[in-house]
Amino acid sequence: MFPAQYDDLQIMSHAVVGFPSLEENEKAIAGLAEAGVKLIELQVPFSDPVADGHTLVNACYEALKHGGSVQATLDLAQRVCARHPEVTFILMSYLNPLYRFGLEELFKQAAAAGIKGMIVPDWPVEEIEPWLPQLDALGLAPILMVTPNTAPDRVKKITRASRGMIYVVSRMGVTGHETHWGEKFQNYITEIRKHTDLPLAVGFGVRTADDLNALSGKAEVAAFCSQYIEWQRDDGSDVAADKMKTIIEAIA
Amino acid sequence: MIRSDNGYFGEFGGRFVPEILLPALTELEDLFFGLRDDPEFWQEFVTLCQEFSGRPTPLTPLRRLSKQLGGAQIWLKREDLNHSGAHKINNVLGQGLLVQRMGKQRVIAETGAGQHGLATAIMAARLGLEATIYMGAEDIERQYSNVFWMRQLGSDVVGVTTGAQTLKEALDEALRDWAASVETTHYVLGTACGPAPFPELVSYFQSIISDEIKEQSQRQMGRLPDEIVACVGGGSNAIGAFAAFLETPEVALIGIEAGGTSFEDGQHSVRLSHNTGETGIAQGYKTLFLQNDDGQLGDTHSIAAGLDYVGVSPILAYLSQQGRVIPESATDDEVTEAFSLLMKTEGIIPALESAHGLAGGFKRAKQMRPEQNVVINLSGRGDKDIFNIARAFPQREWTEFLQREAARSTELLAQKGGH
Repeated sequence: MFPAQYDDLQIMSHAVVGFPSLEENEKAIAGLAEAGVKLIELQVPFSDPVADGHTLVNACYEALKHGGSVQATLDLAQRVCARHPEVTFILMSYLNPLYRFGLEELFKQAAAAGIKGMIVPDWPVEEIEPWLPQLDALGLAPILMVTPNTAPDRVKKITRASRGMIYVVSRMGVTGHETHWGEKFQNYITEIRKHTDLPLAVGFGVRTADDLNALSGKAEVAAFCSQYIEWQRDDGSDVAADKMKTIIEAIA
Repeated sequence: MIRSDNGYFGEFGGRFVPEILLPALTELEDLFFGLRDDPEFWQEFVTLCQEFSGRPTPLTPLRRLSKQLGGAQIWLKREDLNHSGAHKINNVLGQGLLVQRMGKQRVIAETGAGQHGLATAIMAARLGLEATIYMGAEDIERQYSNVFWMRQLGSDVVGVTTGAQTLKEALDEALRDWAASVETTHYVLGTACGPAPFPELVSYFQSIISDEIKEQSQRQMGRLPDEIVACVGGGSNAIGAFAAFLETPEVALIGIEAGGTSFEDGQHSVRLSHNTGETGIAQGYKTLFLQNDDGQLGDTHSIAAGLDYVGVSPILAYLSQQGRVIPESATDDEVTEAFSLLMKTEGIIPALESAHGLAGGFKRAKQMRPEQNVVINLSGRGDKDIFNIARAFPQREWTEFLQREAARSTELLAQKGGH
């Protein structure tokens, strides 16, 4: 399940479905669960992932060559959700693959597979709102993004439509570069909390144990994604899981 | 004037972008909506185009070629005579006026054939702005002369090496830059695609083309043309040439897409005709995209880098669905033939992109009567295509020259210690 407001920091990590291969995904996810990761995004690879930096762009490109797709994501979800009940699985995708699959059918199948939430970066709040009754009925939480340049009235609108948690984009830009967690960031978090009781998941630039320590006490979830995918790419899934374990133990 | 319904044209258009880009798009939209009905703003734009880009561009009758083909009278709208050599500068000069009003100091752009990048580099130099141009690595190889000039003009040209390394990837990369730089940077989108308000905004500036066609045809033909033909990549030159005639059904509007080498996946860029494109949402907007069943955008091919694009303007997708614009396509071979024919019969060197309009327009003109008139929008000039044309018509002489020139330039570099 999603954490409650002000729970201790939990780690969310990532799988790009088909990267490095569909078989490896299952092993990698088991490794992450073992390491103590509480939430895992299953990313549907996409040909044009505009909110992602090069690590995830290249992972998507590889994943597509190795059978990554919406269907493969749903199939994987079904297996890993059953196998790792302690982990909350979240579907992450750009809109087009879901749109082509058929949104209504996708929501039903994702919920049936055990998916608890959805992150779709190019799906604006106005387009999500009409789907809320259906998503609520299925227990599928749309996790919407707030960014540092989002105006206060829009933060209000986004937090109202969001379910499960709010994805706080830590800084301007795309995934995969570092972030500074200073006073400005604290003010940003404080401002968002004024509008919502939902837990905050902070992503973009969470790459080290120092980043996690900095977020501890500020947010409920840290999205540790691009760095993990780089470990997976460079060292394989086993070593990547070990590194994740070390980092989680360091902040415990 | 082309007006969206809250960003949509029928079912197409919209604004599907990461939240981070939203404030910049609404800022741009507010500014644009405040200016577009102001005749003084339009006049400021027209004057700038006249003073800087040589507008109005002529409407040239092709007397010899029309006679040779034996059908309708063919006229060319000479967008190739713009400064920078293509219609792209119209939109860029217009957006330059907006950048000045927003007070931003940096611009970014995506480019396929390099004409939009070149136009942006020119505008940036003129206004003293910093410019970064994203271009697919594949397109850099195909259009190196434009890359050369963009760099000389002081722009930073960044080669994009993801995916198929063409226009689609360049657009993705420009969006990524913008996500980081949006507060200080304006994204000069080059075609009537992307998130609202770009399709509407780009069409607004490009409509200067059809305003002129309307006036010039009245003066030169004594009436409106029977058909207007334009090539369609993203669609900005076509919308520009069509805009003033949308409410005039007696003027047929024909868009020519890049038929490439065949209708097999990955060998063409045909989205409107032949039911090859399917509705999708990507790159910030909803339109007909070439894509597979999983919603992954497909690979495209065209001899012309500027038409090698996977989506199409939502305005054209809508007009084509409504039957107002008739989509057709021309193959790479038909295009090189039309290119050659225009050059040898009329002494005009067209861009390969525009030569698609020629191929489609010539074909139609042949079926028409001599008292009818066809206007083909010659969106750009062909100088930039010297390497591509040399490849289409291989000659030993050219290859030998390149070898000598490469040797000279290597020697020069060694002497000057350049790198």
